[in-house]
Amino acid sequence: MELTKNITLGVYLPGNTAVHRMDPRTKIIASTILIVILLLINSYQAYGYFLIFISVIISSAGIPPGYALRGLKPMLPVLVLMWVFQLFLHSSPDAEIIFSWWIFSATDAGLHLGNIITLRVLFLFTVTTILTLTTSIVSLTDGLESLLSPLKRIGLPTQELVMTMVIALRFVLILAEELDKIVKAQMARGVAFDRGNFIQKTRKIFPVFLPLFINAFRRAEDLIVAMESRSYTGGRGRTKMKTLHMGRVDIVCILIMLLFTGLMIFTIFA
Amino acid sequence: MPIEVTGLNYSYKKGTPFEKKVLYDVNLQIEDGDIVGIIGPTQSGKTTLAQHFNALFIPQSGVVKVDGINTADKNADLVKLRHKVGYVFQNPDYQLFASSVGEDISFGPRNQGLPPGDVTARVNEAMAQVGLDYDTFYSRDIFALSGGQKRRTAIAGVLACKPKTLVLDDITAGLDPRGRDEILAVVKKLHSEKNITIIYISNSMDEVAELAERVIVIDQGRIAFNDLKINIFNKPEKLRDIGLELPELMALAIDLHQQGFNIDPALLKFDEILLSILDNLHDGQVRE
Repeated sequence: MELTKNITLGVYLPGNTAVHRMDPRTKIIASTILIVILLLINSYQAYGYFLIFISVIISSAGIPPGYALRGLKPMLPVLVLMWVFQLFLHSSPDAEIIFSWWIFSATDAGLHLGNIITLRVLFLFTVTTILTLTTSIVSLTDGLESLLSPLKRIGLPTQELVMTMVIALRFVLILAEELDKIVKAQMARGVAFDRGNFIQKTRKIFPVFLPLFINAFRRAEDLIVAMESRSYTGGRGRTKMKTLHMGRVDIVCILIMLLFTGLMIFTIFA
Repeated sequence: MPIEVTGLNYSYKKGTPFEKKVLYDVNLQIEDGDIVGIIGPTQSGKTTLAQHFNALFIPQSGVVKVDGINTADKNADLVKLRHKVGYVFQNPDYQLFASSVGEDISFGPRNQGLPPGDVTARVNEAMAQVGLDYDTFYSRDIFALSGGQKRRTAIAGVLACKPKTLVLDDITAGLDPRGRDEILAVVKKLHSEKNITIIYISNSMDEVAELAERVIVIDQGRIAFNDLKINIFNKPEKLRDIGLELPELMALAIDLHQQGFNIDPALLKFDEILLSILDNLHDGQVRE
């Protein structure tokens, strides 16, 4: 049994492709634009274009497509639930009822909304995964920090904020590894997590989370000590060993993004 | 409860870019009443192998049979199997979760669905076996325990399930010498008095030499040796190639033998070696 197998968020897949070499700032901005686009488009045609675009990025970054999709697997139940809710609970006066059962009825508008929202979440997750798979934690931190640095003027502790965010991302995998150990220790003493009804199953979760939280706090404390003992005092006066600079890949990326954004704006208004 | 492993292979994160093979064609057999040491450098695959014994891992290829039950069989009752093959984990912090010692130890028997009276009896017995006084420790807070007491609570929690085989995964890591000796004494007693099959995983040669009769040496996911310990400790060069050292005192005995002292290099127990060295010293003094 391996719980960490399906986790792709926060994992870095080392490589030397153009996507990997890009300046992290370019990647972060490009991802943000893609996310904004995702929130605006609502036609299947536009999602089709988006799918093609994302597939090209995935293959040019050398990410095995199966691996990129693997991270979606644990989310499937939530996505299905969301889709069902949208399907039955969305109501608009001029919607056509396509299916009805007991007090529930599904409309074509609900179906469309359900599909769009599901696609949206799927793509949002994929875009973020591509970013973390191709950007190491260190360059992700540097990139975000550099992008947020104007906010320092209004007194926002940007370096600290970014550090917190990145640590949180990194802890996803660490906590999953710990969860794996705890679950196994309890299975070894006769807990059958897959048996019983919903309430019985839910009850079995509590003894798992107690040690998980305790260990997480302990880990956080250790991390604080480790950082302080290496003289971390926050963002003030911190310099960089590797300074960021944009190169030809970044210009190419910006051009491609401009073209794609143009196409998307066109599909929104067309 | 014999454990039979044939042609076992296992890869972590199979089917992802991070795939890493950790076990290569492992074959071994563990009989009832055995006391076996599994030793190997860190990352050699010891834990992955051992977690196949109680079906926490299901073989990707090959067969693991526990008491004749194939762990890959969809109809096999793995919960029952895990009660028979107890597993004590490396770090007790992952295993202990209840607020008090007694509550944690009773977790296993409660999962078995035993009536409260039987559960209490089991807890009582398990605590006695590991040398934790019932009245003193039953309601003690887990966080108030020392490292050694935590290990003992963890062992008791597994013993309370009444296993026939006990897998102990590097349970002395991080203990001081005294705590280590106490734990080893508990393990010895479980084997000799309760006739529980012991599978002792460690990267300390000294501990394995002290406890086990048979030793399985694992190197990079493959079984390098699987033999009586006397036959294994006779090949110090090969062990060194893998990155393992002979137990210190044993290395000294072999050294002294080679320099002409009257010491049997095949001695395995610490006391015997010590006595033999003392005898030699004594002889020397008399001669002078």
